[in-house]
Amino acid sequence: MSSNSIKLLAGNSHPELAEKISRRLGVPLSKVGVYHYSNKETSVTIGESIRDEDVYIVQTGTGEQEINDFLMELLIMVHACRSASARKITAVIPNFPYARQDKKDKSRATITAKLVAKMLETAGCDHVITMDLHASQIQGFFHIPVDNLYAEPNILDYIRKNIGVENTMLVAPDAGSAKRTSTLSDKLNLNFALIHKERQKANEISRMVLVGDVTGKSCIIVDDMADTCGTLVKATDTLIANGAKEVIAIVTHGIFSGSAREKLKSGKFTKIVTTNTVPVNLDLDIYDQIDISAMLAEAIRRLHNGESVSYLFNHVVV
Amino acid sequence: MNNIIIFAGSSHPTLVEKICENLSIKPSQVKLGKFSNGETSIDIGESVREKDVYVIQSGCGHVNDNFMELLILINACKTSSANRVTAVMPYFCYSRQPDIPYTAKGAPIISKPKHSAVKESGNTTEIGSVLTTHKPVSQRSRKSIDVAIENTLSSLSLDRSTPRILKSEDNIQRSSSNSRIPVIPERDGTSSSEAAGALFNTNNSGYKLWVAQAGTLIANLLTTAGADHVITMDLHDPQFQGFFSIGVDNLYCKPLIQAYIQHRIPEYKDAVIVSPDSGGAKRSSKVADALGLPFALIHKERRSQILKGPPDATLASGGGVPLSPKPLISNLSGSELKHSMSASKFVQTTMLVGDVRNKVCILLDDLVDTSYTITRAARLLKDQGATKVYAVVTHGVFSGDALNRVAQSAIDKIAVTNTVPQDETIAFLGKNRVDVIDVSRVFGEAIRRIHNGESISMLFEYVT
Repeated sequence: MSSNSIKLLAGNSHPELAEKISRRLGVPLSKVGVYHYSNKETSVTIGESIRDEDVYIVQTGTGEQEINDFLMELLIMVHACRSASARKITAVIPNFPYARQDKKDKSRATITAKLVAKMLETAGCDHVITMDLHASQIQGFFHIPVDNLYAEPNILDYIRKNIGVENTMLVAPDAGSAKRTSTLSDKLNLNFALIHKERQKANEISRMVLVGDVTGKSCIIVDDMADTCGTLVKATDTLIANGAKEVIAIVTHGIFSGSAREKLKSGKFTKIVTTNTVPVNLDLDIYDQIDISAMLAEAIRRLHNGESVSYLFNHVVV
Repeated sequence: MNNIIIFAGSSHPTLVEKICENLSIKPSQVKLGKFSNGETSIDIGESVREKDVYVIQSGCGHVNDNFMELLILINACKTSSANRVTAVMPYFCYSRQPDIPYTAKGAPIISKPKHSAVKESGNTTEIGSVLTTHKPVSQRSRKSIDVAIENTLSSLSLDRSTPRILKSEDNIQRSSSNSRIPVIPERDGTSSSEAAGALFNTNNSGYKLWVAQAGTLIANLLTTAGADHVITMDLHDPQFQGFFSIGVDNLYCKPLIQAYIQHRIPEYKDAVIVSPDSGGAKRSSKVADALGLPFALIHKERRSQILKGPPDATLASGGGVPLSPKPLISNLSGSELKHSMSASKFVQTTMLVGDVRNKVCILLDDLVDTSYTITRAARLLKDQGATKVYAVVTHGVFSGDALNRVAQSAIDKIAVTNTVPQDETIAFLGKNRVDVIDVSRVFGEAIRRIHNGESISMLFEYVT
């Protein structure tokens, strides 16, 4: 059997991240042409042989206009690799698109996350690497293995190095993120508070109730994603109104769609931190980024060599 | 009609209205939209439990968005216990299966021209917005297309010296943003043109570029989403039906086209039916036979001169389309140089089989996208002495600046069906130059018959 090596392919969604992963792995990005025809259909051309290779395709869910384009790009790339006789195809999707449409929360609601999972399998994916899934149950939508990585070690590291744990408190901005926040606070040995929000429509929050005392504390809001930032801004206002000294927001996926940028600019944050799972275009002095490309690269390396990935759940890759 | 539900996708609401009028029912309530992060959102407003659901979505506009919407809608119906879900796709997206990475014009794949990239970099660097194709064409680029076409058409491209080739390549580059040449997105930091050059140069000689054939994928995705049946019209490749493991009803536009020719083209009895390329010959000749008209064929030879010689390693890459002269020259010795230079220029010969002198010509094709094929065919027909050129086309996608090209072409009148919205076409070309053939009755009747479990083969031959 011929030797099989890592082939790293990148879509158009986040070339910067793909570049970083490639540099980290020491594997150059394979030649792929992903274009749009003038009739807006996607065209994929693979410029080198991937027969019997271990293929990794980096494509994240991002773009207010192009998220579906990127998804189709990914599917067509997977399909192209499959038909070009790749041995194994792994989709590296740092931010899983449609992850929030994961339940039938009302009559005839769509479970699009499940559809996306099925589509990836249909296209010919053998494995999926993703990060901080909105609900880890999404892994169950797949019939193929899914490695859900956590940004937690990197976030812990960031808090220890850049913020400090003196007089600090962690805050979960909604009940959904309480679990994530509580594990973080256990590891940092910090107290945590919770904000309970009453939501009436998607992306709109009506009322917020703070559980816990934050007077005079530096509060760190931790969440898996910030989209329209309605939650973040309101939570910050609530915290400040309850006597918090300062508010720092740390989120994994900084999608920042719609009017999020304006909201953040006028918000009362001391610092806003995201990872680079999606390209963030935030022109603020208080913005800081955690690079998770090393973790993705290490996951790819371990997966390729058949090593355990669970080490990455608790350790920062340096 | 009991238990039938029709959902309109956002691609072509007017067609759905017409289809529903024909069925005397109303489209069902569905809210289509997007979340602020761009994800498609769907809200079905009425129960579909145990219903026979038809989702109508054409493969036009923002194709990927519309296709995703269709998939999500189908999936939503399926998870909401619909009895059967039928995807009605008047124009089937991704139905063309290019196996070589070049365009209708015969130009090889080429990166986005640098100067326009600079112009655009102010907006965003995302791929979608890099598309310059839907913007009105500037006078200059239109000129360059003409030059490019002339270059391609004129067969004197055999022995060209280096500067000439560079120039012609420049022409193609400039026009690339206006044709069906895929646009390579600009990336920060790296020069995309260089990347494209690296992608398609001859370093990995011996490897034929693998062009994704999305057809099977699209078919499988529809099945995955939960479609039980597909209705479409005039599939570009009839073989496409075989990609599905579910029932596909491929409706034919032929009866409508025949009726149109008979009723709306006064001089049709002395006309010649012309197929603009060999691929559509079968379809066109059927119409010609049915109407008892003579038939002519335009044959397009798209190959480089060197292919006639012995196989060459450099040609094996890029599907036989050396992109830029540079890498080619670098690994060829001087004596071969001239030979290969001629190869790097695409030789395209177009010839007409049949007599059209002093005749009215009716060009028939299933799809007009960039409109290069059909406008060039019209020009050729006029050059060969045709008095008038009509074009009758099933799917008028008219992407990029196709409308512009049609407007300036030798086509006297063009008729398209409304499988794809044609409002823009009418607005651009004027009512006198465009006729829109309504296909809603065919689709309406097909839906009615499929719903009632009747045969639809009668629709293949007769106008409803």
